[in-house]
Amino acid sequence: MIKELFTNDYGPDGFRTCSVTGMRIDRTAENFVKVFGLTAVVALVVGGISAILVVLTRWEVVGLLGPADFYNWLSVHAWNLLIFWMVFMEVAILYVGGPMVLGRKLPAPKLAMVGYVLMLGAAIGINWALMTTSAPDHAPVLTSYAPLPSSEWFYLGAIVFILGTVIAALPFFAAIWQEKVENPNRSLPLVAFGAFITAIIAVEALLGGLITYIPTYMWRIGLLEHIDAAWYRQMYWIVGHGSQQINLAAMITVWYFLTHVVGGAEVVSEKVSRSAFILYLFFINMGAAHHLMADPALAASWKVWNTSYAAYGAVLASMIHAFAIPAGLEAGRRKRGAGKSLFGWLWSSPWSNPVFSAVIFSIILFGFMGGITGVLMGQMQLNLAWHNTWATVGHFHATVVLGTTMTFMGLVFFVIQTMFRKELIMAPLAKIQPWFYSGFMALTTLMMMYLGILYGIPRRHASVMNIPGTDFNFAAAEPLFVVFGIAALLAIAGGILFALISVGSLLFGNRLDPSTVFRPTHSWQGDGSPVHLQSMRGTFAFTLIFLAVFVIAYVLNWYLLSRLWEIG
Amino acid sequence: MSSPIHSPQGNWWIAGVSVLEKTWIRISVVWCLLLFASMIVWASYGKQNQAGPTYRASTTEFMQKVQAFKKAGIQTEDGIIPADEHIYVAAARFSFDGFPVVLQAGKQYQVHMSSYDVQHGLSVRPEHALSKQMSLQLLPGYEWVLPMKFDEPGVYHVVCNEFCGVGHRTMHGSFIVRR
Repeated sequence: MIKELFTNDYGPDGFRTCSVTGMRIDRTAENFVKVFGLTAVVALVVGGISAILVVLTRWEVVGLLGPADFYNWLSVHAWNLLIFWMVFMEVAILYVGGPMVLGRKLPAPKLAMVGYVLMLGAAIGINWALMTTSAPDHAPVLTSYAPLPSSEWFYLGAIVFILGTVIAALPFFAAIWQEKVENPNRSLPLVAFGAFITAIIAVEALLGGLITYIPTYMWRIGLLEHIDAAWYRQMYWIVGHGSQQINLAAMITVWYFLTHVVGGAEVVSEKVSRSAFILYLFFINMGAAHHLMADPALAASWKVWNTSYAAYGAVLASMIHAFAIPAGLEAGRRKRGAGKSLFGWLWSSPWSNPVFSAVIFSIILFGFMGGITGVLMGQMQLNLAWHNTWATVGHFHATVVLGTTMTFMGLVFFVIQTMFRKELIMAPLAKIQPWFYSGFMALTTLMMMYLGILYGIPRRHASVMNIPGTDFNFAAAEPLFVVFGIAALLAIAGGILFALISVGSLLFGNRLDPSTVFRPTHSWQGDGSPVHLQSMRGTFAFTLIFLAVFVIAYVLNWYLLSRLWEIG
Repeated sequence: MSSPIHSPQGNWWIAGVSVLEKTWIRISVVWCLLLFASMIVWASYGKQNQAGPTYRASTTEFMQKVQAFKKAGIQTEDGIIPADEHIYVAAARFSFDGFPVVLQAGKQYQVHMSSYDVQHGLSVRPEHALSKQMSLQLLPGYEWVLPMKFDEPGVYHVVCNEFCGVGHRTMHGSFIVRR
């Protein structure tokens, strides 16, 4: 059965042609995409199980775990979902965006294997270290802020995982190199270009990770006597936020890919979309400075500068993609006569296809919830009200769960059907999975934001309804915690549904000709007119609504801040 | 067809761009400039700016400063009434040192903050309005001085909101602001 998962109709040269995308697919590249993707899903399941424990502890009506266990499982939750699920998927995305899109063989497959083994070994080791953390070590959660010590195996695992990821990315860079040597005057397809930018951002972030974790490991095992907390924070966030920026860039690359393949989107302007990726390349990593807005030792001018020119270069890029991607869908579909009215192109889209609905919900929820809140908390002064509250956790659940995880879930459904060539089991449930999961996850996220901003609920607390030694507590927030608890459990049910459908389809799904589910892209006939001349008024209306929400949220946040006592 | 999985044909740099897309990019640029300007304007005219000097201070040095602050102030049942406008508070696993302090409403104080051991948070809100809250990061080795002026009397509760170990949730302090 396992062998069957890796069989396909390859020709004698080791290539096959995808019946949906028309891409020439190399057997080795495809097998590595499958292996990295499957490993990512395992990490998603481990992270999802820990989510149950985390939710049932923070919802104090249940109050499942004591503090020590809670922090260990919170760490497992963070590392599996923010790192392992994402990074294994992202290596798979690089192999799709590089060798597959370019129709090339995966260069240096041995390096891919070495990278995979190192990543897998490190992920297992880190999980073991997290689950067995006990005094005098402390749970690292995601950040492992020095000088609070964690297990030495954890730091070593982080170093090995980073090295493994860099090695696994090398075949991708080699494929781009070979392509440019052979075809120096041919531009990369946009998806390959986006993957290339993602990979560069990734290497920058990963080098930051080595700069952080190697000295920290040396400090932990006693080779260095002292580690400076401010130094650690500044270095850590190169990888801490950088890794999430890899998620962002990879997700946007997948948005361009899947809206095209599933919805018929076109690129409305190569120049604009590529320029937006270039903005990410130059600015997004420095935007990580927004984690240090409530820190001592940094001047206000440093904070404002780094959250202005740097962060807004990236914000601008995201706002450009926020138009370009739906506009691509609108223009592409209008060109083929799908929907004449303001939003007809959208309503007529393949909503019953979970790949499509997952991607569209991801685009909307990432923008409205994750993007806006990210900018709010990245303003130096507004950060006072956001820093380390549960609202921060709400923000990154909006970006990483509603955004990246939803997108990657859609991609997994796509890969199951087009690469594993398995029919999705429980088809009616598969259709509603993105609706169910994104709906309840959005409600969960919204509750975290409200609880954090309006009640000041701190993050990383095992309990806030009872603070030993004082009468003060956060019991006033209890009603919203009820909504949070129920919504979060339902969202987890949506996650379980995803895992059941994915694994079940691989094991029990019927063999599928994917072109019966996805319309082959080469069959799309337009009227041949230039795509930029198509109407994009529906997208423009959406982006104006987005801007209005942005402005309202922005003004409200400044109003809340202005009510505080004088600081500074 | 302009596809993201095929190399673009011809000179794509000079291809036309939709008027609406150009309009949206212009709006976005203006919005980003406004975002930038609002931070600058608030830094000049707003009353909440986490800007103040930071000094190097070892744990021992800062401990001595907090002890001196406690000794110089007037000990009351509610807490320490500072001798002057300088307040010294520190976080340590798993309690705050220097709290509770009794302050006068409408008077500006210089709050000196640090940590004795690991990273901590200083998260403050008045008892009567949980939504009026803010948080700062406290780092060992760094003494941060921020001016603060509380206009509304009341009890302002302080919790730690940077994970500092299993007893993290038990940390509590307070500013008691009186007329």
